[in-house]
Amino acid sequence: MKRTYFFVLILGMLLPAASQASDHIRWSGYARNYTGLLTGGDQDFSILQNTLNLELSGRGSRTAFLVNPYMYHYFDDELELGVREAYLSMYFDHIDIRIGKQQIIYGKAEGVFITDVVSPKDMREFLLPDFDEIRMGVTAFRLNYYTGMHTFELSWIPVFTPTKEPGPESIWRPEMPFPVKPVLDESAREVSARVDNSEVFFRYSVLGSSLDLELVGGYFWDDDPALHLTPHLNPGSGEPDSLTVRPEHHRLMMGGGSFSLPVGGLVLRGEAAYYGGKYFQGTDPDISGGLLEKNYLHYMAGVDLTPGDWALNAQFIQEYILKHEETIRQDQLIHTLTLMARKEYFREKLWVELFSYIGLNNGDALLRPSVSYDFADGFEVLFGVNLFLGDKGRFGQFSDNDMLYTKIRYSF
Amino acid sequence: MYTKIILMALAVWMTAGFHATFAQSMSGKEIIEEVYYRPQGDDQESSLTMTLINSRGDQRVREIRQFMKDLGEVEKSIMFFTSPADVTDTSFMNWSYADGSDDDQWIYLPSIRRVRRISSDSKTDRFMGSDFTYDDLGDRHPDDDTHERLPDETIDGLDCYVVESKSKDPDYLYSRTVTWIDRETLIGVQKEFYDRDGDLLKVLTVKNHEHISGFDIITHSEMHDVQRDHRTIMELNDVQINTGVSENMFTERMMSRGL
Repeated sequence: MKRTYFFVLILGMLLPAASQASDHIRWSGYARNYTGLLTGGDQDFSILQNTLNLELSGRGSRTAFLVNPYMYHYFDDELELGVREAYLSMYFDHIDIRIGKQQIIYGKAEGVFITDVVSPKDMREFLLPDFDEIRMGVTAFRLNYYTGMHTFELSWIPVFTPTKEPGPESIWRPEMPFPVKPVLDESAREVSARVDNSEVFFRYSVLGSSLDLELVGGYFWDDDPALHLTPHLNPGSGEPDSLTVRPEHHRLMMGGGSFSLPVGGLVLRGEAAYYGGKYFQGTDPDISGGLLEKNYLHYMAGVDLTPGDWALNAQFIQEYILKHEETIRQDQLIHTLTLMARKEYFREKLWVELFSYIGLNNGDALLRPSVSYDFADGFEVLFGVNLFLGDKGRFGQFSDNDMLYTKIRYSF
Repeated sequence: MYTKIILMALAVWMTAGFHATFAQSMSGKEIIEEVYYRPQGDDQESSLTMTLINSRGDQRVREIRQFMKDLGEVEKSIMFFTSPADVTDTSFMNWSYADGSDDDQWIYLPSIRRVRRISSDSKTDRFMGSDFTYDDLGDRHPDDDTHERLPDETIDGLDCYVVESKSKDPDYLYSRTVTWIDRETLIGVQKEFYDRDGDLLKVLTVKNHEHISGFDIITHSEMHDVQRDHRTIMELNDVQINTGVSENMFTERMMSRGL
């Protein structure tokens, strides 16, 4: 713990000094309090977090750097320190090179990850944090080549970073549909840091007067591990009396694209991806480790519109497993809808917003109404509610986790 | 030699006389077109400070570094927000077309780290919470309104044309506007905006303009919402014209890279 405080102290001393050292060096960031209260049960606090997010950046005519350390302090005095991004950039006439830990973001969908699979996700609090906190940086070598409005991008990620999962006691731990309490075997979870285990992505994009287009592809590891099952049967009854679960990451291939198209006062958006080699959980643990390898499609159609002072968008998303089999636990076709409505009042001082995910297969939903007020320039107070409707499905499984929350944030 | 001087003097006198005659006979639409097409250079960069002042005198300040390039058929502009802190590194790009077709607009939000196309069907929205709409900032095409010339007036010692404009769209934000235009510089020095009920809504006053690199540029203006007693002061600093701003400035690359 002493080392942690020393780190924070040094950081606090260095940043102002660095900012004074050169006009080209800047520090910015925010301090935030995030308090969440569960409305059911004993009305426990789901989160009490103080955050310091710092960005130290520098810029020359052909070079730049950014370091983004962050600190989460929790009510039990637990301190989490990390670095969201830390990279160096070089700019040439038609080429940019960025090396280091960085967030790489693809696609045009909002709140869903279709082709946006380069940066892994921090799912310890489900989909509730801000998206720049859900997405994690990856150490990558990224090269962009520009010609006119066209961009060609190649990213090489030497070391795999998996999804951060909720801990065993977390209220955001997804349901484990096993007949008996499993024993975890972590022996195969790690993907060793070797060149042949690296990941590669490419992206082409163009902005135009009539269409924005993006094409992407990648050869990478599935950020979420497949759960290989080994049942141990009771010789007497023939029923499993224990189950070993071995999480293991597998290779995936992905190709896809997205577009934005202005039509009158609307913007139409679409995004689609084809995944090859995805492992799906089966219902029978006796068959090939309880997993079936299938290809699948993930796609979205959406529209943005601005009637009056409102900003609205809607997205319809489908996930489709090709050559689906009865023994696959997941439905062949999953339908999800997202809706967003936003309105500002008092000259952008007060914002009212509703963002919602609606799972059509299980009739479940996550509704997120919120009100934010700019108490002063750079000082925002937000009140929000997370309502989980239904009792099963991606959102309904968290029906006990309805919460009220506030976020108070000072940006500098 | 004398003949040449006399001919030049005659030419100047005739031109001046013709201009005076033409000015007298100019219609409202011709005057507004003169204002709309007033040369402002092929490219421009500047720093914009916008101060919002409410009826209690509370101030909010927004700062932007902006670049513009006129490519004939299309005028491209890009804005980099530098203050307040919660919008720093946000950028906004607009392509406006000479043929009057819808603008193309994109925004880069550092929190989502990607460039996103946005609807341009919001020209009557307030610009960053100010008293200016996007139309008020000068993008409104003369063909969108009918224009009637009113008797000339003198404001603050300036001889002005006065033109009343009414939108061809009956649902437009303003029922009419009245503009006072300096006859010498063709700068609109004052403009009144009337709401749909015909009541005075806002008054725009140009406080200062400067002659920079051969062009008259408005550097200080104030919009006063008289109904809510709210003001927005716009000040332009570090104005540079025709410095050869690259077309590469108006790209996804620059939006995400920032200044």
